[in-house]
Amino acid sequence: MISVRDISKVFNAGRPNEFTALERVSLDLQLNESTVFKGPSGSGKTTLLGLIGCMSRPSSGRIFVGEREITSLPERFLTEIRRSTFGFVFQQFNLIRGISALENVMAPAYPTGEKFSLLRARALEKLEMLDLGGRADARVEQLSGGEAQRVAIARALINDPAVIIADEPTAHLDSRLAHEFIGIMCELKGRGTTVIVASHDPIVYQSALADRVVEMRDGRVINEGSAA
Amino acid sequence: MIERQRHILDFTLSSLMRRKGKNGALLLVYTLVVFVLASVLFLTHALQREAALVLKDAPEIVVQRTLAGRYHPVPITWLSAIEEVNGVISARPRLWGYHYDPLLRANYTLSVPAENPPEPGTVDIGAGISRTRGAHPGDIIAFAGHDGKPRSFAVREVLAEESQLLTSDLILLCEKDYRDFSGIPGDLATDLALRVRNPKEFGTIAEKITRIYPDSRPILRSEILRTYDAVFGWRSGLLIVIFSAAALAFAIFAWDKATGLSAEERREIGILKAIGWETSDVMLMKFWEGTVISLTAFLLGVILAYAHVFFASFSLFSPVLKGWSTLYPAFRLTPYLDFGQISTLFFLTVVPYTVTTIVPSWRAAVIDPDQVMR
Repeated sequence: MISVRDISKVFNAGRPNEFTALERVSLDLQLNESTVFKGPSGSGKTTLLGLIGCMSRPSSGRIFVGEREITSLPERFLTEIRRSTFGFVFQQFNLIRGISALENVMAPAYPTGEKFSLLRARALEKLEMLDLGGRADARVEQLSGGEAQRVAIARALINDPAVIIADEPTAHLDSRLAHEFIGIMCELKGRGTTVIVASHDPIVYQSALADRVVEMRDGRVINEGSAA
Repeated sequence: MIERQRHILDFTLSSLMRRKGKNGALLLVYTLVVFVLASVLFLTHALQREAALVLKDAPEIVVQRTLAGRYHPVPITWLSAIEEVNGVISARPRLWGYHYDPLLRANYTLSVPAENPPEPGTVDIGAGISRTRGAHPGDIIAFAGHDGKPRSFAVREVLAEESQLLTSDLILLCEKDYRDFSGIPGDLATDLALRVRNPKEFGTIAEKITRIYPDSRPILRSEILRTYDAVFGWRSGLLIVIFSAAALAFAIFAWDKATGLSAEERREIGILKAIGWETSDVMLMKFWEGTVISLTAFLLGVILAYAHVFFASFSLFSPVLKGWSTLYPAFRLTPYLDFGQISTLFFLTVVPYTVTTIVPSWRAAVIDPDQVMR
């Protein structure tokens, strides 16, 4: 379980442009359950995902991953948890240009020092799983939007994470590709991966993927419950 | 651990290749800096070494004569009194001088060797003269003597010596031919060469000679060596001072390159951190990036400088470093490298670059991973 206890996140604290992105949010997210955070832009969804995914620390409050309290951990341990527990799919895909799809998929595992041949085989396996085996050597600029999205998913899966975090994953996809994404996530969920998504796209929060929908506005949780 | 280094080095190399323009420009400027510095170092060291070779067999003391403060030939009669000075092992008159060849606009050095002089009517010539005049053993070459009349000589051999600086423009001939060619009378010599065993006595002997012949000017070999060192040292110092402006510009360029991370680079570092790289991994990548650029520029610069100094006759810097004493027959310096030189160069180039880029690299590495989500 991932527990968020009374967390707030303030950007530019003490400056004229101080901005409170999250205010006293508390939540429990069950593993093996898919959660969708919905709400308008600026509601704090992305900030919350960043905190849950160990990308940043809250200004106050605590976050527990399993039994472990992560908010006070040094960067090294935080990175280790991020790398081993979470896989990220970003709104802009955030693939590294100029290198191949395969290299992009392998990149998160480089610091682990895993043997190259094993790493490459695993990366190819992830790409095959997403029907991208034939595009492994293509540069990411040459990929279509849907292919780039799937490469980003393969990259998120390279370290076999327990949790996939996706931030507005369908924002740049047409309806067909958005449904395709939902299909892939449902498949992963079926294999036991926890999926946490932030989206204001009805295709996502009304889909079968959403076991639970948490509605946010102005940095607070305003409604939470099972999907309709 | 090695695999981690290998993965990150592989990734760094592909990153460098992806920004060919920017990194290529940096590499070019960096290589140029190393090339200039290495050329100056190689050239001054090689010239100092050549000078030491030239003076290796030089007499410990040379006695010249001055007239109104200017050089004048020495009477051979001085020999007997000088040989009597305590500490002097031997003294002999030397005959040598210069000859300007208007045809090739070249200066030659003429000298009468102490041992194995050529037969009358024959000469030994240096490689530079052989090349420029197209003269080989058995050929006849002619020069206009002091009276304007030409003298012909058969070439006995082309001199092959350890140092081309020593022999490139040299013509060896016998005493009779030299006196006839230069017009120097039989009772005069160019200077007197003295052999002295004990270096501690050099100064005392020079003083004694000056007392006997007040118009004499004894020159110690150690003084000549010191002058060479000072002149070359001063000239290279001068060049390095001028060049330091360029080095400073390079440091600013490197700083700017490292601090002025492009939006693309910042984005990439953000992505890497978001997907599981930690600050130390990004620092390691930056370290490899700096190392690859530094070492490539260093090796390229050193190799180019080596070729420039030892194979291309240091054509770019010779006017500054050789000064007024232009030797017209081209000569090549003996290739010479030592560890001290290379390490000095390394510390003058690679270390400043590395230091300059540490802080900016660290600043790049601590980019928040959640930046890519904002």
